[in-house]
Amino acid sequence: MLKMTHLSKVYRTEVVETYALRDFNIDVKEGEFVAVTGPSGSGKTTFLTIAGLLETFTGGHYHLDGIEVSQLNDNARSKIRNEKIGFIFQAFNLIPDLNVYDNVEVPLRYRGMKGAERKQRIMDALERVGLASRAKHYPAELSGGQQQRVAIARALAGSPRLLLADEPTGNLDTQMARGVMELLEEIHREGATIVMVTHDPELAARAQRNVHIIDGQVVDLSEEPRFHAQNARVADA
Amino acid sequence: MMQIKPILAALKRHKAGTVLIALQIALTLAIVCNALFIIRQRTEHLSRPTGLTESNLLAVSNRWVGADGKATESLTETDLAALRQQAGVADATMINSYPLRGGGWSLGADTKPSDKDNVRRPTAQTTLYFTDEHALSTMGLKLVGGRNFRPEEVRWVDPRDFETNVPVIVSQALATKLYPDGHALGKPVYLSSTKPATIIGIVERLQVPWTGNWAANFAENSVLLPFLLQGNFGNYLVRTRPGEMARMTKAVPALLFKTNRMRVIPEERGVRTFAEVREQAYKSDRGMAILMGVVCAVLLAITAAGIVGLTSFWVGQRRKQIGVRRALGATRHDILSYFLTENLLIGAGGVIVGAALAIGMNLWLVSHFEMERLSLAYVAVGVIALLLLGQGAVLAPAMKASRVPPVEATRSV
Repeated sequence: MLKMTHLSKVYRTEVVETYALRDFNIDVKEGEFVAVTGPSGSGKTTFLTIAGLLETFTGGHYHLDGIEVSQLNDNARSKIRNEKIGFIFQAFNLIPDLNVYDNVEVPLRYRGMKGAERKQRIMDALERVGLASRAKHYPAELSGGQQQRVAIARALAGSPRLLLADEPTGNLDTQMARGVMELLEEIHREGATIVMVTHDPELAARAQRNVHIIDGQVVDLSEEPRFHAQNARVADA
Repeated sequence: MMQIKPILAALKRHKAGTVLIALQIALTLAIVCNALFIIRQRTEHLSRPTGLTESNLLAVSNRWVGADGKATESLTETDLAALRQQAGVADATMINSYPLRGGGWSLGADTKPSDKDNVRRPTAQTTLYFTDEHALSTMGLKLVGGRNFRPEEVRWVDPRDFETNVPVIVSQALATKLYPDGHALGKPVYLSSTKPATIIGIVERLQVPWTGNWAANFAENSVLLPFLLQGNFGNYLVRTRPGEMARMTKAVPALLFKTNRMRVIPEERGVRTFAEVREQAYKSDRGMAILMGVVCAVLLAITAAGIVGLTSFWVGQRRKQIGVRRALGATRHDILSYFLTENLLIGAGGVIVGAALAIGMNLWLVSHFEMERLSLAYVAVGVIALLLLGQGAVLAPAMKASRVPPVEATRSV
């Protein structure tokens, strides 16, 4: 589903080159639930933005659903984002001027979908996250957990092949975070491929597979005692 | 088009900015439509034909010193004889006023005598030009019916006491107004008198001396009477031969002073070519047209700047939102089209209100200032122009918005 080979991302200024990702390799199979962890500044978010075609990369190869994306132009990248990828952001990123229904509708409109089909998909997605009754509410009228559920509904409505979640529970309290995590697990059980960036070892432990990034590279977890110990504590709890 | 519903929903959440800019567009449309209409009316006047052959025509203003009343008759006749003898002069006449001069006589003209109490409105308002048999050739008027005055029909009169039961030449406009059946020649015309004048000739066109709106209803209603007015003030019109205008402009006042020094010919506006008469007559109209044009341009620029300012502010405010839309699949074109459509919707609201305001403002001007009714073509052109101006103004900030990268969605504010 998602395969990066020797991928690099370099930020250049006049005096310095900074490698955000260096010789980065990852292979996510269809239907996997992968948690990406790592310290701040390790390159987790850069990986996610490149995986979601929000940013271009400097070198290497990236195949998404069998397509080499490096040569795609801006319009083609937009089309892939719209049709194959669902995003869940830490800050929810709902559009405050639109109500819940209209927010979920945004990606479907860009797909040029007919009104009746849009309506069906929106209501299905809202039912699924338990917010069909809040369709006419504005984001400011919802709790953080509800807003993230709307964001998940927006990501699901387009039936994407890949869900990318960036710290999806980072702005939520424990109870709301648990609810959102259970929802993601349910979506995964139904066959979705999920890549989730997180700081939280407890959440990471609930994924099928963990990928750890340090200094812009994927590292073997067995060579990282600190991480191993953290995981052990999570397991004990 | 697919974005209209969410754009409207978003605009509802930004009522203040939306209403203010729509109101600005509405007021601009109302003012610009009416201003352009007034400019058109004013500039139409500028090129309105007087009926005179204006090239090679000089106007001389003369005031006698120490002579008045009957005594001015011989002085004037001497002047006219001297002028007509000049090699560079084709003809000359004396007249109380002339088109575009700004002052003259006007009164009511009718086909029937006034009733006893003089309460009936006359059929037409007209101006009176008192002159002689040289007027037609000097002024270059085109006689389209009847004949010119005969020398024996012309006489001197006291301007305070005369009867108008004489042969007269009228303009075609007045002839048609008095006798719509087209048979005015030989017919009577009552000029505030119980004794009628008789129409002996019709000239194609002869404008009144005034250019203001108040005279618009009778702008070409003129009567030439075969009277020379006694008095210490009069105007000479002098037709020079081709190529002699510049020389005669200097030679005519010199000749008149040589004939008799007891006169005043004002340095300013004393001797004017007809081109100068026209230029000075419409100076205020031209000035007004320029002023209104500048006001329109400034107003349009302010509206365009307002649209650029508001859209730039909204683009800056919605930078993250634009990034989210791009992340969710919007292309650059989608973002560009979003802002253009948003502006078009605000503009459409503005021009609908503005069109109503423009018509309302015109109706008020019509009822208070003798304006003409505003042509709807002006409103239609104004609507299109304002919408295009809006789209043009929004283009730069919309292009800037379309360049917001999708990765903006992941950045914290």
